[in-house]
Amino acid sequence: MATAKTSTDTNRRRVVFGETDLSDFDEEVDLPSETMPLQMGPSHPAMHGTVRISLEVDGEKIKTSDIQIGYLHRCFEKEAEAATWTQIFPYTDRLNYVSPMLNNVGYAMAVEKLLGITDRVPERAQFIRVIVGEVSRITDHLTCIAASAMELGAFTVFFYLIKTREWLWELLEEVSGARLTHSYVRIGGVVADLPTGWSDKLLDVLAKVRTALKDADQMLTRNKIFRDRMDGIAVLSQADAAAWGLTGPVARSTGLAYDVRKDHPYLVYGRFDFDVPVGSTGDNFDRYAVRLEEIYQSMRILEQALAAIPQGRIVVDDPRLALPAKRETYNTIEAMIAHFKIIMDGLHVPAGEVYSYTEGGNGELGFYLVSRGEGRPWKCRVRPPCFANLAVLTKVLPRLFIADVVPTFGMINMIGGECDR
Amino acid sequence: MAAETSPPAETVTVRIDGKEYKFPKGTNLLEACQTVGAKIPFFCYHPGLSSPAVCRQCLVEIKGSPKPVPSCYTSVSDKMEVTTNSPKVLDVRRQMLEFTLLNHPIDCPICDKAGECSLQRHYFDWDGMLARNEGAKVRKGKVVDIGKHIVLDQERCILCTRCIRVCDEVAKAPELTMAYRGSHEILTTAPGQRLDNPYSLNTVDVCPVGALTSKDFRFSRRVWELQATPSICPGCATGCNIEVHASRGKIHRLVPRPNPDVNKHWMCDEGRFEYKRVHTDRVVLPSITGKRATFDAAWTEAARLLGDDLSRAREKVGVVFSFQGTNEDNHALLRLAVEGLKIQRIYAGGHAAGWSDTILVSADKNPNMTGVVHLVPGGLRSIRELTADLAKGVLSTILVLGNEGVTVAPGTPAAIVSLATNKGPLVDAASVVLPVAAWAESDGTYTNKDGRVQRIRAAIPKAGESLAAWQVAAQLGARLGVELAYASAGEVFGDACQRHAFMRNAVWEPPVPPVLLRFGESRG
Repeated sequence: MATAKTSTDTNRRRVVFGETDLSDFDEEVDLPSETMPLQMGPSHPAMHGTVRISLEVDGEKIKTSDIQIGYLHRCFEKEAEAATWTQIFPYTDRLNYVSPMLNNVGYAMAVEKLLGITDRVPERAQFIRVIVGEVSRITDHLTCIAASAMELGAFTVFFYLIKTREWLWELLEEVSGARLTHSYVRIGGVVADLPTGWSDKLLDVLAKVRTALKDADQMLTRNKIFRDRMDGIAVLSQADAAAWGLTGPVARSTGLAYDVRKDHPYLVYGRFDFDVPVGSTGDNFDRYAVRLEEIYQSMRILEQALAAIPQGRIVVDDPRLALPAKRETYNTIEAMIAHFKIIMDGLHVPAGEVYSYTEGGNGELGFYLVSRGEGRPWKCRVRPPCFANLAVLTKVLPRLFIADVVPTFGMINMIGGECDR
Repeated sequence: MAAETSPPAETVTVRIDGKEYKFPKGTNLLEACQTVGAKIPFFCYHPGLSSPAVCRQCLVEIKGSPKPVPSCYTSVSDKMEVTTNSPKVLDVRRQMLEFTLLNHPIDCPICDKAGECSLQRHYFDWDGMLARNEGAKVRKGKVVDIGKHIVLDQERCILCTRCIRVCDEVAKAPELTMAYRGSHEILTTAPGQRLDNPYSLNTVDVCPVGALTSKDFRFSRRVWELQATPSICPGCATGCNIEVHASRGKIHRLVPRPNPDVNKHWMCDEGRFEYKRVHTDRVVLPSITGKRATFDAAWTEAARLLGDDLSRAREKVGVVFSFQGTNEDNHALLRLAVEGLKIQRIYAGGHAAGWSDTILVSADKNPNMTGVVHLVPGGLRSIRELTADLAKGVLSTILVLGNEGVTVAPGTPAAIVSLATNKGPLVDAASVVLPVAAWAESDGTYTNKDGRVQRIRAAIPKAGESLAAWQVAAQLGARLGVELAYASAGEVFGDACQRHAFMRNAVWEPPVPPVLLRFGESRG
């Protein structure tokens, strides 16, 4: 606490505490001061993802901020040039690694657009893609809310939601063989069918997700500490969203109702009844609320999809795109040759360029592909949604306190794998 | 086919798939269709061989013809209307492929040809139907040793007879034949014969599947990992155009590159093994009297040895050019030794002469004797003279390029500065050894026996610490006061072109990035 001291020194200090002016002093002298540079990250317990925010602070107030990304750059786009079209799927898993199915689906749809087979992907495969995609979206939002809550001190919410996420990952592991690095989708469909009984298990887990969300909601939404930390902080307007290219929950929290699933329906999203939650203020709390509500909407989609999913093939019926059944491959030369050529040469994708976009966990996930007619891409560019979302922080971080950086950054949900690729 | 020998200029108009084209009269219909982009699969046709039309894979529809016609056997004629992509033609292709695949073993995972196999390629591009037959396939000989270099798998053979025609028409040695009939027809050697003519490995190149495989290449590397670099064979003065197939710095095989003027589509078996000397018994580290040294120290020592003698007794210094070296390497040595240092005793040598024939093989087993002979003005003394002069003590220091096989009598007082690629008696006797790049690691040109200047390209990085011979010569020159400012092999070539009449019309073909066979056009 500031204590006033009488001093015969000519350099007297005027100390003001709150509104009270300590009347001992009647002279005031300006303190020499300068801003302090402060590095948050790249290794920091409260910055999820590896990113460095270089701040210039005046006391607790941020004067300028410089967000430095790239610590997780792994040359996805360059590696894609050396891999066949199908070999890129494991790389896409590692883009937005909290919702890998959505990345798989986005990339597969881009290649299918270039091949011109978007309509020939079997219906069952489209339903499966929607289902696993929405499960991935739920895990993405659960992770975001859980981690941000923990950084504000709400450890219980973290444990409840991560436990819920674990149940969902168990289901995805059953379907694809891995909790996170699924590589489940293929060009023309998916690699394997849903196991028997999986739909029922998913419905059971969704009931448990509802309970967990209710708990999280009760613990956070009207919690004074949470609201004080989140309300009115880092406000973005709809104009900001449009100008900065924001998409996803960040943009929708400002009131901009853009969701690729609704505005440019793909796969079978057009058949389902679901709402797009939209915020009004565009502050941190709205971003949290939009994500929370989106989980409920994803569950609505899942219930409808599980009820309507038809029987059928899970991959396009084209011997030049889909691997033949293993029984054929091991026993006939025809299937052996087809298997060999598809894998070794890579799929014959005709020369051309395409931009294909889907709703990823963070917003519009785009893939821009250039093919030269070979079995591998000439160029595979990813439009990462959180790249644009993160850029807007340079606008809102100044004038915030250091402590506000943590929830703000958390609610942007920058995933290092996606932003840096 | 006929187009090469008949007099030019009569053109005919042909309609292919609805569009009209003009071709010289006598053009092969299959070739004609390929040039305009109407692709047709084929197995037994080969541009360098006669056309028996046995595989029936290239059948097309010609208006007015009741049955589909094999396009490899037909010449274009005026007002011909050809359809290569009607449903009937596509169906016929599928049927032929089905027959061919009926008894084909499921060997792709263990077959050398996988990745460059015509059968794989044509099935994938033109067929796609799953197998309809059940039951066992006909069994035949699986690993049949039919010759010095070749293993035959009779089950994989699709009976196209390309190999038989190679032996008959190219090698003039009818050693192969078909036996039995129907599903049991097999390729085999004629009674009492083995497949050991000097062009036998060409049958491996032309075989569309993995029936004939080279013992040398078998299982050594999967073809999709190979990178192809065009070059010239250094085995003899014919200068067959080849491709060097290498992976991870090691050469795995040499295959011929088509050149209608030099080697058509073929090369001899001996030439195919020329890659072995790039990887065996190499000299890759500089040394001074047998002890390892840095290049810097070696150059300084060599310059000292040469410089001392040049100032005291120039007539006792000799230089030896190499018929195995490129025009550029020999030219740099010429500029250094003859023009710069004014060395008077000039020798040249290479590999000894050997057998020859009227097909491709030259008696002169050096790729560049013509080049060296034209490069160096005045007389060239032979290696026999060199050994004699060394024995008589006529020479006190010699600067030698290549010629590692020259034997030097023990106790010879001469100092030898050796620019060497491989080990040999000369290298053992040398005072200073400067390692130089082998033929497959060099960029340069060879002049073949007809005076044709052809480009070789580096396919792999230089082994150990070796440098290009022209680089070594330039460094020696720098230490002896002879300025040779070359930054690349192309510059040496440009310099040589200006100074030598026989190279005046030569062209320095541009560098070609190695093609990874996996993503290039399949060789099969």
